Amino acid sequence: MATCPAGHDSAGDDFCDVCGMRIGAPPAAGAGEACPRCGAVRAGQFCEACGYDFAAASSALPPPEPPSATSSSVAPPPPASAAAWTAVVTADRAYYDRVRAAGGPDAAAISFPAYCPQRRFRLSGTEVRVGRRSASRGIDPEIDLTGPPADPGVSRLHAVLIANPDGTWSIVDLGSENGTQVNGSEIPRGEAVPLRDGDRIHLGGWTAITITRGG
Amino acid sequence: MTNLPGFTVDVDQNPYLPAGGRDVSAIVTVTADATGDAPGGGPAGGAGSAEVIIVDCSGSMKSGNKIAQAREATLAAVDVIRDGAWFAIVAGTSTAWPVYPADGSMAVADMRTRTEAGRAVRQLRANGGTAIGQWLRLAHQIFQSCPAALRHAILLTDGENQHEKPEQLAAAIALCEGAFRCDCRGVGTDWKVSELRKISATLLGTVDIVPDPAGLAADFEEMMRGAMSKRLPDVMLRVWTPQTAVVKFVKQVAPAIADLTDRRAPSGAQAGDYPAGAWAPGESRDYHVGVQVTAANVGQEMLAARVSLVAAAPSGDQVLGRGLIRAIWTDDEALSTRINPRVAAYTGQAELAAAIQEGLEARNRGDEETATARLGRAVALAHQAGNEETARLLAKVVDVVDEATGTVRLKKKVAAADEMALDTRSTKTVRVRKG
Repeated sequence: MATCPAGHDSAGDDFCDVCGMRIGAPPAAGAGEACPRCGAVRAGQFCEACGYDFAAASSALPPPEPPSATSSSVAPPPPASAAAWTAVVTADRAYYDRVRAAGGPDAAAISFPAYCPQRRFRLSGTEVRVGRRSASRGIDPEIDLTGPPADPGVSRLHAVLIANPDGTWSIVDLGSENGTQVNGSEIPRGEAVPLRDGDRIHLGGWTAITITRGG
Repeated sequence: MTNLPGFTVDVDQNPYLPAGGRDVSAIVTVTADATGDAPGGGPAGGAGSAEVIIVDCSGSMKSGNKIAQAREATLAAVDVIRDGAWFAIVAGTSTAWPVYPADGSMAVADMRTRTEAGRAVRQLRANGGTAIGQWLRLAHQIFQSCPAALRHAILLTDGENQHEKPEQLAAAIALCEGAFRCDCRGVGTDWKVSELRKISATLLGTVDIVPDPAGLAADFEEMMRGAMSKRLPDVMLRVWTPQTAVVKFVKQVAPAIADLTDRRAPSGAQAGDYPAGAWAPGESRDYHVGVQVTAANVGQEMLAARVSLVAAAPSGDQVLGRGLIRAIWTDDEALSTRINPRVAAYTGQAELAAAIQEGLEARNRGDEETATARLGRAVALAHQAGNEETARLLAKVVDVVDEATGTVRLKKKVAAADEMALDTRSTKTVRVRKG
């Protein structure tokens, strides 16, 4: 019977049968101490009984807060990253062509970007704002579409994605200038519209945001 | 003690994670040893194998002489069944009945039973409806009458499952899960890809279109040869993970994509079994395994997963091979940012299959914008992956303007058979060899 760096007994003598750590490596810092939250014996960075993070507690930094901690929300945090959602921002030629064809007042002034790298944003916290950063107005959206390339049709504070208690997300158009589409249909301003995996959001002159789960 | 063949398990991954990194991804190549004898607990010959051929006899099979070609194909398949293997033939309409043996048992293949089966099959006429759940239930019942461990069915249909509710078909599929494997073939273009895919995915088989009934005999013969080559039944892929880790996904990625993530059956502490079906000697498949672990300190090494090939034996489970997926935390970014080329290649091919299926679905909904975007993405991915077969099928559905960027236009007119071929074959991958 071997003993792993975290103090587990293991029948296997290469990797620990319990935590998988390489056996024969130096012991993990603080192995054997008691968890301050539940009292279980420490066997790694996280308490195996309650999930308490020893590393975060012992570092000089304050414990990590969810991004929108100011709202001091009572909603439970979104479920673990097994169901993590991602917003993928791309330039959508077909949507651009439709906007041009619809012929709004400034439609002709917007040009389709020659180069637009795909941008990915992991959705976390309880709210994720979509817009363009403005230092003067103190707007700093999590999904910042400032670019380059810049889509002038996107409002500074265009929309917000809201975490639902079941781990899914909804979108609310915050009274944007040019509106927001979900899967090709315009959504009413100020109303939460639930999103499903694979839904496509269109805004501005050419911006497409695809919402995916587990991306 | 039965003499089971071994498996070679090769793991291809970048084990290095940055500080705080948690996601470990690896391609696991599993190859059965090419042993010449007939293992699997059964004596030499075919006694370990059982085959049921299910033939659609609905009224629509009359058109285009499909029923005659189906009869020929069934006979061609029966000819390939090894002497000593068990077999039966089922006819399906809105009900199902045993064609041979007529008493709903299984026959042992030899000269006499093949001739008798031929006589019975030639009597098959097309007349009636389609209730595929009934067909599967009868096949399940017939398999119960024989002791063979390698159980495989071929299901042929030309139409939608019209004469029973989707729930009835789903219940029948659930009943058959794990009891036998099933390859499905749709002849013509009036059947539904999603229906047959549900059956073949759950029953660990393949699905394909045979656009021209004349191609059936060759296809049946090939399927039956494939089934006869299998020697080792019901292998499980067992994935052990450390206590705080989560298995994110387990997918077969070659020869075709099959997501097994939701098929996990718990097996002992910290481990789960995923069905890997039956294996032929020398057969090789690739699996993509994703695990999320709790981060350890830089410099530490962890076993993120142990992947074992396990066969159930009377004496208990036997481990036939194993491989290790590791995680090593490093502050060297040159190491941790490197993406394993095989992981990248198969990730792209999985996205390709999804892009095709989503694109075709959008096209059928009339959502041309999404269809153009997804099928365009598919063209670009197929180009990247060098998947020429899929690129060729895509070009029948879209006009390709630029394959590198995936700029395409939807074709105004697409032959139904071309669209269905693209859909059914979207999950076939190009094998990514170790580079």
